[in-house]
Amino acid sequence: MSSAIDRQVTTFQEQFKRVKDEVSKVIVGYGEIIDGVIMSLLASGHVLLEGVPGLGKTKLVSTLSDVMHLKFSRIQFTPDLMPADITGTNIVQEDAMGKKSLQFQQGPIFSNIVLADEVNRATPKTQSALLEAMEEHSVTVGKTTHKLDSPFFVLATQNPLEMEGTYPLPEAQLDRFILKLKVDYPTIDSLHTILNRTTKVLEPKVDRVLGQGEVLDMRKTVRAVPIARPVQDYAIRIMMATHPRPPYAPAATMKYVRYGSSPRGAQALVIGGKIRALLNNRLHVSCEDIRALAYGALRHRVLLSFEGEAERVDTDTIIKAILEHTPEPS
Amino acid sequence: MSDKEIIIASLRRVERRIRTNRLFTELSFGALLFLALPLLLKLWDLVQPMRGVTVSIIAGIWVLLFAGYVAWRVIQKGTLEQAASSADQQAGLRDELKTAFWFINNPRSSDWVDAQIRRAARGAESMDVNVLYPRTLPRTSYIAGAMVLVFVLLNFVPLPWNHNWLALQAAPAFSLTDKELDLLKQTEELLKKAAQLNQTELTEKLEEIVEQLQEGKIDAQQAAQMLDDIQNQLEEGNLDASSINEGLEEMAQDLAQSDQLEPTAGAMQNRELNLAADELRKLAEKLGMNTPEASKEMQKSLQQAAENTRPGLEELAKMLKEAAENLKNDKQQQAQESLEGAAQQLESLQARIDSQQLKNMASQQIQSLKESLQQRQQQGQMSAKGEKQTGGKGQQAPKGEKPDMDAKGAQPGEAGSEGEPSDEAGQQGQPGAMMPGGAEGTGLMPGGQGGTDAPKEGDATSLDVKLQQEKVEGMQDGGEKPENIEETSKMERSRLDYRNVKSDLSPAQKDLLNQDRIPWEYRPLIKSYFEAIRPTAKKQDK
Repeated sequence: MSSAIDRQVTTFQEQFKRVKDEVSKVIVGYGEIIDGVIMSLLASGHVLLEGVPGLGKTKLVSTLSDVMHLKFSRIQFTPDLMPADITGTNIVQEDAMGKKSLQFQQGPIFSNIVLADEVNRATPKTQSALLEAMEEHSVTVGKTTHKLDSPFFVLATQNPLEMEGTYPLPEAQLDRFILKLKVDYPTIDSLHTILNRTTKVLEPKVDRVLGQGEVLDMRKTVRAVPIARPVQDYAIRIMMATHPRPPYAPAATMKYVRYGSSPRGAQALVIGGKIRALLNNRLHVSCEDIRALAYGALRHRVLLSFEGEAERVDTDTIIKAILEHTPEPS
Repeated sequence: MSDKEIIIASLRRVERRIRTNRLFTELSFGALLFLALPLLLKLWDLVQPMRGVTVSIIAGIWVLLFAGYVAWRVIQKGTLEQAASSADQQAGLRDELKTAFWFINNPRSSDWVDAQIRRAARGAESMDVNVLYPRTLPRTSYIAGAMVLVFVLLNFVPLPWNHNWLALQAAPAFSLTDKELDLLKQTEELLKKAAQLNQTELTEKLEEIVEQLQEGKIDAQQAAQMLDDIQNQLEEGNLDASSINEGLEEMAQDLAQSDQLEPTAGAMQNRELNLAADELRKLAEKLGMNTPEASKEMQKSLQQAAENTRPGLEELAKMLKEAAENLKNDKQQQAQESLEGAAQQLESLQARIDSQQLKNMASQQIQSLKESLQQRQQQGQMSAKGEKQTGGKGQQAPKGEKPDMDAKGAQPGEAGSEGEPSDEAGQQGQPGAMMPGGAEGTGLMPGGQGGTDAPKEGDATSLDVKLQQEKVEGMQDGGEKPENIEETSKMERSRLDYRNVKSDLSPAQKDLLNQDRIPWEYRPLIKSYFEAIRPTAKKQDK
């Protein structure tokens, strides 16, 4: 049995590596972002990518969809985008007999991978339509609920600079993203590689290396990884430390945070920790895994207080303080 | 061995090693802290020697505390969870052992859990405790060792006031100064020499007093009183020195009238009584060879000498008288025996005089010792009083333990005890010396305690001394100093009346300044006032 588990783990690692290698053919210098995106997919979650325009966010997502045998759709969020543009709508169909009936026309959300580009540019009403689908994995139009295919994976992007005329996602909706990844500028070496790859005659092409079934198997493997109570307790204490209440909160939380993470934060830590453990050829989650995921899993779940906003405190600073303040189980 | 057993055995090994290393570190550190106390005490002991009781109590408490600390640290044991956590950290296992141990204690049927435990067991088997937790002596242990070495060396520092605690030595309750020890030794020697006086018990008594003083059974005042008793015993039965001296002088003059007795008389005049006795014996041997005139002359001299009876010379005079009578009666044999008897009396007298000298010297030594003790007692009381007044915390320690303390004997108001006690001339009429009791000269060397007219205490009090005493503590020079008018005026604290301030103005100028002038601005007002109250013409008419 042990060898079967070992094989399972090895397969997981190989498949993960294959996907990553393929994506890395196009996307350069974002190893951690790619890891985070794939991890979110395998954790049955959704990911929010935040970065200035031109850094390859959309390219990353489209490349990921190219690598997998999954149905991909892209929604460009604009202020005039309506919910029906996302979910689909009932349209009048006339059959051969001339009889008219309403028939549901699926929107772009009926895909396995959905790229919600510049998600904060749509109105809250439209955002809600997407976010409901993210959480429920279903769409209700009229009186009919339509199930979405599995895996259903939303990658949303947003631009942190052009905030005018945008509708920032409310906290409750942000909480539905398992990870929020910050896409930063690539390094000089990475830029050289990007230029070398994109300014030649032949652009790199990727192969499809992962199918729908494989993704679902990988998701099962992830959830089988055991986690000991002390490590789980560590994850919970970190999550609890984001709340400005004793006894877990450090001074930074008490001062700058209004609301902390929901239990979804702890879920993200544990499930992400399991994936990371498998990638590191371990059959258990360690505290190090929890710590490594803390920034991505909690930064969008920490709501700053007025003081924190006024002092322009970065939530990563608060998470860093939480990690320093929370002792590992002995 | 199952995977679980392998993991638990490994964790136990790790826990033992962690505990051992922890104990090494903690005990070394504890020893470092605890050793600081005896080391500091030993250093303090070199400055201010401590009594055996004090050292014993401190050492006992120290041993108890250290033993308690060791026991407390030894019974502290770590858990296997802690060992697993530590091993994970040391071996970089990323919580593998911790997770496995938790699943061992909280079993669940999962292939993944079993696989995890199996992996952890493999990792635990390959774990080398000696590599992960090497046995190293902490740096504090070297420091502690060095402190032990320093402590041992301090015990063997060759200083007279150092006491080797390792050899169970400690400072006595009252330690004598070097000077006092010398005095004591000399006194004992003198008393031993005076054994013929059957006063050997005084030596033992003296030793007993010193022993009791050093053990703290008696204080310096009591010791001084006991020494006083010994001194009194020594002075009991003293010879009347002046009477004997005068008697011997007169006898020598009488004997010198005879040619045969002239050497004897000369020896007696020089107070060499043993030599005089020898001369008498020679004379007795040659008695038969004397001419009748010489015998008669000798008989006459002996008869005259025998008539000068003085207290203490009665026996000698009696023997000389017998010799004279036997010579008169031509009893040569009896005359020789009588002369032999007189010679023995002279020798006896010489022995008594010698003993008396020794007793006097011993008495003087005891007197010096007594004064030294009394002086230190007074100093102790004064310092204790001073500390009490100032609320000082210092203890009344036996200051005399420091060898240089007796160099303070010439302070005003204190009993001067300067000068070597064995120097007889120096003792005579020594001013300032406290001579309780014997104001009269005793023995053959009177005047050793005869400074009766000397001032009892210190130097005469002068006005300067008075001012010095009244000087306020903290002032650099005594008494009041002239006030600095300029400075105090600036500070508005001058007590000098402004009229008395010295100025260069002439009396006329001063008068002008002292005039009460009406300010210009008030003049119209005053003028109008007086005009208002000026009597009108009607009033004048009335």
